[in-house]
Amino acid sequence: MAAASVYSGAGFDFTNEVRNTFLTDRGIPLPKATSTGTTIVGCLFKDGIILGADTRATEGPIVADKNCEKIHYITDNIRCCGAGTAADTEFTTALISSNMELHALSTGRKPRVVTAMTMLKQMLFRYQGHIGAALVLGGVDTTGPQLFTIHPHGSTDKLPYVTMGSGSLAAMAIFEAKWRPNMERAEALDLVCAAISAGIFNDLGSGSNVDACVITASHTEMLRNFVKPNERAVKERSYQFRRGTTEYKKEEIRSLVVEEDVTYISAARGAEGEAMDTS
Amino acid sequence: MPDGSFAHPQQRQFNPYTDNGGTILAIAGADFTVIAGDTRQSEGYSIQTRYAPKVFRLTDRAVLAVNGFAADGNMFVKKVKQRLEWYRHAHAKDMPLRAIARLIQTMLYAQRFFPYYVYNILGGIEEDGTGAVYSFDPVGSYEREACRAAGAAQSLVQPFLDNQIYFKNQKAAAGQTHPTHLPLSDVLSIVIDSFTSATERHIEVGDGLEIFVVVTKGHSPQGLESIRNVQEVTTRADTDRMFVIRRELKKD
Amino acid sequence: MFLTRSEYDRGVNTFSPEGRLFQVEYAIEAIKLGSTTVGVRTPEGVVLGVEKRVQSPLLESSSIEKIMEIDRHLGCAMSGLTADARTMIDHARVTSQNHAFTYDERIKVESVTQAVCDLALRFGESVHDEDAMMSRPFGVALLIAGIDELGPQLFHTDPSGTFVRYDAKAIGSGSEAAQSELQDKWHKQMTLQEAQILVLRVLKQVMEEKLDHHNVQLAQVLPTTGFEILDEVRLKEIVDIM
Repeated sequence: MAAASVYSGAGFDFTNEVRNTFLTDRGIPLPKATSTGTTIVGCLFKDGIILGADTRATEGPIVADKNCEKIHYITDNIRCCGAGTAADTEFTTALISSNMELHALSTGRKPRVVTAMTMLKQMLFRYQGHIGAALVLGGVDTTGPQLFTIHPHGSTDKLPYVTMGSGSLAAMAIFEAKWRPNMERAEALDLVCAAISAGIFNDLGSGSNVDACVITASHTEMLRNFVKPNERAVKERSYQFRRGTTEYKKEEIRSLVVEEDVTYISAARGAEGEAMDTS
Repeated sequence: MPDGSFAHPQQRQFNPYTDNGGTILAIAGADFTVIAGDTRQSEGYSIQTRYAPKVFRLTDRAVLAVNGFAADGNMFVKKVKQRLEWYRHAHAKDMPLRAIARLIQTMLYAQRFFPYYVYNILGGIEEDGTGAVYSFDPVGSYEREACRAAGAAQSLVQPFLDNQIYFKNQKAAAGQTHPTHLPLSDVLSIVIDSFTSATERHIEVGDGLEIFVVVTKGHSPQGLESIRNVQEVTTRADTDRMFVIRRELKKD
Repeated sequence: MFLTRSEYDRGVNTFSPEGRLFQVEYAIEAIKLGSTTVGVRTPEGVVLGVEKRVQSPLLESSSIEKIMEIDRHLGCAMSGLTADARTMIDHARVTSQNHAFTYDERIKVESVTQAVCDLALRFGESVHDEDAMMSRPFGVALLIAGIDELGPQLFHTDPSGTFVRYDAKAIGSGSEAAQSELQDKWHKQMTLQEAQILVLRVLKQVMEEKLDHHNVQLAQVLPTTGFEILDEVRLKEIVDIM
């Protein structure tokens, strides 16, 4: 296969930067990126870590996705919740996931959460906050359960319970009121669920369903749509349109069937056909 | 500069307005009008209250929906009500709908250079007994229409109404024409569906729905009997009848 | 200081010990010197009629203006110091236009009458920094005719700011005789033409001169055409019928 005519290096491409700055100065703003308004949380419990997230994605005041996934896969034993610019969180976590896999392969060890955390913060710091990813990273490795938050500029925190996104205050209120060390799995899951629900119902940037992920030393359980407290209402009317409702200006019907007249040269071979030799 | 020198130009600003979200809508029928609004009041990503009425009864036959900056909206309704009371004392009758419409124009235009940051929709029954909807911009430009949506989800709801009420982009079946007015039951369904749908896709719409229905004197409120949670708020016999329907909307 | 009872008639804002405002009462007296003015209400509309006193053969009778339009649906006839009426009618016109501007509807007859009467009592000494106001009561009475959603109506106002609705009313010098004549002749189902003739007959009775189409003026307010002053041709027709 022929080589690409233009060389494209790895990583970000800044060639449009000057043009876009010029356009912005001329009053043509950049298109708005999808933001995961978001409530994301994580907390420590007796056997490991539970991560939680809502499922609303917004574009300004409009709901872009009612059931998106914000708990991203890093490795089997590490997951990362993302808030901020959807593309940034998805791309960043996917990139780190790849690098973690490569790292695990080259070291031959089970990946550690601090490794992912370090890779993430170094990348985010390098981009000086221009990558709008606010993350909650959690997992269980040989050193035990680990839980971090990573801010878009690259700073990190290591805490027993954390929240991020526009619903972080609502969710943190729940944690501050009810979190205790060494909670049972069921209790902790209820708590995470309550924290996410607080975000869903009190923060307009968050909504729809609760996703959760329980990570223990032996097992990771992704609880997609763990609770669905916001089912869509049934419509009062049917909005089926009568066939022919849409007007058109021109009608042109073309036959797509190719017709072919076949004239057989030999009548004997033509009518019956010769049996295929299947031997 | 903070040192008070004028070496560098500086600008200070005070912005007295906020947007409190929410959506309102009104549809006029032949002998009724439906005026509705959600009850969520928000600022940014926060909900200030899940029940702040945006639709207000003005007279026996007039209802006003206000949307935009809630403080201005509430004050505006208060002032309109005061003017209606004065009018009643001066002229010994309730102000007719079209007179209220004109009054709202003069009140809004009086604030031309410091406007009420509000979109108004006035609905009710005209002197001739027909349903009517008047919509206003913040400085008083107004128009009588058959239907209008305003507020946060206007861009979601108005195209839907254009299609369902005005039958825009719908070709009538051969030999048939579209009706000029829909029956009350259809209008109520469209209103409810407008709000449940806006709630799905707009973060500032939700919590509760309040629907006012005004029916011309002597006409039956057909289509209302099958609706849940209807409360009649007619105050006097022998006038147009008024009903309120309250519904829950999703709270996320 | 020597205070007789008559001292109380000096100030326009001073009650006498018997509770009277003499200046207002004198103003009402002034109307009795004015030319006779008659108004009659019928289900079809309201008719106004005035006597024009042509004091000199050199006087251009058409220049005497005693019936005026307030709005398309409102008319007004006057008796007394007709110059004062200008102020009041100006006020009525402004009120009516303001109402139409603000409410996109015609003002009610009673409302415009009320507005005029509010003005009638606004006399006295103006306070410092206040706009100059009327220093004495208006010396004029008005018959305000009009049509609104309540039908054709006729109102009478006097300098005391009192207003009353009438089916038929006469004011001015011949008002006493005229009023009793109206009382005899007016009936509920009167047609417009009957009313026009009644107005002329009543005026004729109380006028010193012989009534013709030069020394009276008729106007009417109808649901269809609104207010109009009848021109001499139409007036003559009615005079002839009478």
